[in-house]
Amino acid sequence: MFLPRVLHCDRRKMAAFMLSRRTAVLCRTLKGISASKTVLPANSQCGLLLQTASYNPRPLRLNIRDPYIPDKDSEKTPEWQKTAKYDRKLFGRYGSASGIDPASLWPSHKELDKIIAEENEWHPPLEVMLKNIAIKEKAETEKRLAKEKLIAANMAKMPKMVADWRRQKREAKLKLKEEKARRTKLLAEARERFGYAVDPRSPKFLEMVAEIEKEEKKKKKLLKRRLKEEQAAGVVQPPPTSS
Amino acid sequence: MSFPKKPGGKATDILQNLPRITLANLRPEPGSKKLEQRRGRGQHGGNRSGRGHKGERQRGNRPRLGFVGGSTPFYLAIPKYGYNEGHSCRPQYQPLSLKRLQYLIDLGRVDPTQPIDLTQLVNARGVTVQPLKRDYGVQLVDEGADIFAAKINIEVQRASEGAIAAIERNGGVVTTSFYDPISLGILIKPVPFFLRGQPIPRRMLPGEDMVPYYTNAENRGYLADPEKIQQARLALAQKYGYILPDISKDELYHMLSMRKDVRQIFFGLAPGWVVNMTEKKILKPTDEKLLKYYSS
Repeated sequence: MFLPRVLHCDRRKMAAFMLSRRTAVLCRTLKGISASKTVLPANSQCGLLLQTASYNPRPLRLNIRDPYIPDKDSEKTPEWQKTAKYDRKLFGRYGSASGIDPASLWPSHKELDKIIAEENEWHPPLEVMLKNIAIKEKAETEKRLAKEKLIAANMAKMPKMVADWRRQKREAKLKLKEEKARRTKLLAEARERFGYAVDPRSPKFLEMVAEIEKEEKKKKKLLKRRLKEEQAAGVVQPPPTSS
Repeated sequence: MSFPKKPGGKATDILQNLPRITLANLRPEPGSKKLEQRRGRGQHGGNRSGRGHKGERQRGNRPRLGFVGGSTPFYLAIPKYGYNEGHSCRPQYQPLSLKRLQYLIDLGRVDPTQPIDLTQLVNARGVTVQPLKRDYGVQLVDEGADIFAAKINIEVQRASEGAIAAIERNGGVVTTSFYDPISLGILIKPVPFFLRGQPIPRRMLPGEDMVPYYTNAENRGYLADPEKIQQARLALAQKYGYILPDISKDELYHMLSMRKDVRQIFFGLAPGWVVNMTEKKILKPTDEKLLKYYSS
């Protein structure tokens, strides 16, 4: 913005500063920069240095001397020149010379009623809009809060659920391990009994497993009975000791 | 001629005897149809009739738009997402940077001693607003906030926080206000509107989606409470670390305190008035119903 001015200045006084041109240019550019900085705030604050740009506005091309005012009764006049809108335009262009009643520029009572009805239908007043916005906002916050609450509740349950899941996993693993150990034990027993490795699907092996299970059941029963007996003895014995 | 003459007898006869007008006997108006150009006739026979050599170009069996030769086309390969939903209906705000505003003021194209609204900006050729292209006005952008040094009273449609701070630091005033497209068209081109000889309409209120912006004091909205705006000015001064100049003791206080009414389009002109440019007159309605409508 300021550079051209500096150059211009320089060119005008070039002859005078022919010898020390370079230094002069440098000095002036510095001056220009410093001057611009001081001018800026002054320009805007006191408004004294205001310059108006030469602006050539577009002329208002109106033939006011000899206005064209269409004859309403003539058939040659196009329809669109007989409308109220065109009348208003004529008044806007030529003023009272157009011969149009200024009262017709505004909508009639009937039209005004229509306009008001339309505005009532489509343009609610500010209070109504504010109320609607408040309602909408309230509903939104409620929805958000409900969701947040649900999330918080579920997150509170989370540690217990994780612990449960871990325990289940561990138990399943243990069970699997035990099963495997029992199987290998059974197989080893079968090999001991028959002297060779038995196919676990063969009826021989299955029979043996059933037998072993039966024995175990018997042992369990015996154990139970013995326990009961012991308990009964224990229950019977205490009274004499206590009495 | 022995038969008696009746006026218009022949025409009625013809009308009675002619068949009814149907689609079957309608013809286009003579002269309304132009014969299609017949290519490749006469001395041009045997040539390509201006269609080039071979292929889809010559035979006119080009594949549909977006077809990329059998592979999945681009428009189907890229998933669509709602980033640009409704982009053709979104309101647009032409940017006006503080740098440009300062430039306009320095050149004298905008007069800072008067309140600046969209009319001044458009007349200074500072911005171009096209209401028919969904422009809803201008937005003040904070580019050049560090060099901005004018004290102005400006009315824009959107303003960024930095721009508001830069103007208020210099003791200026910002207002954001809404213009419906019709009012906007009138505001940016007042003379053609005055030549239409219509009364100045009332400015419409913003829609429900824009009301929160214009009722917010932080945006310096024109629907906001003046007291809250004062508080917001102080808060912004604290945030940006400058001392807010007291406007009420300013010599330009009258200019700086000028505000438009919610329903007003031009400074100094009320809705319902008719401005006549040729006679340099303002016509005001006197009818009570009209007055009531325009003042509400």
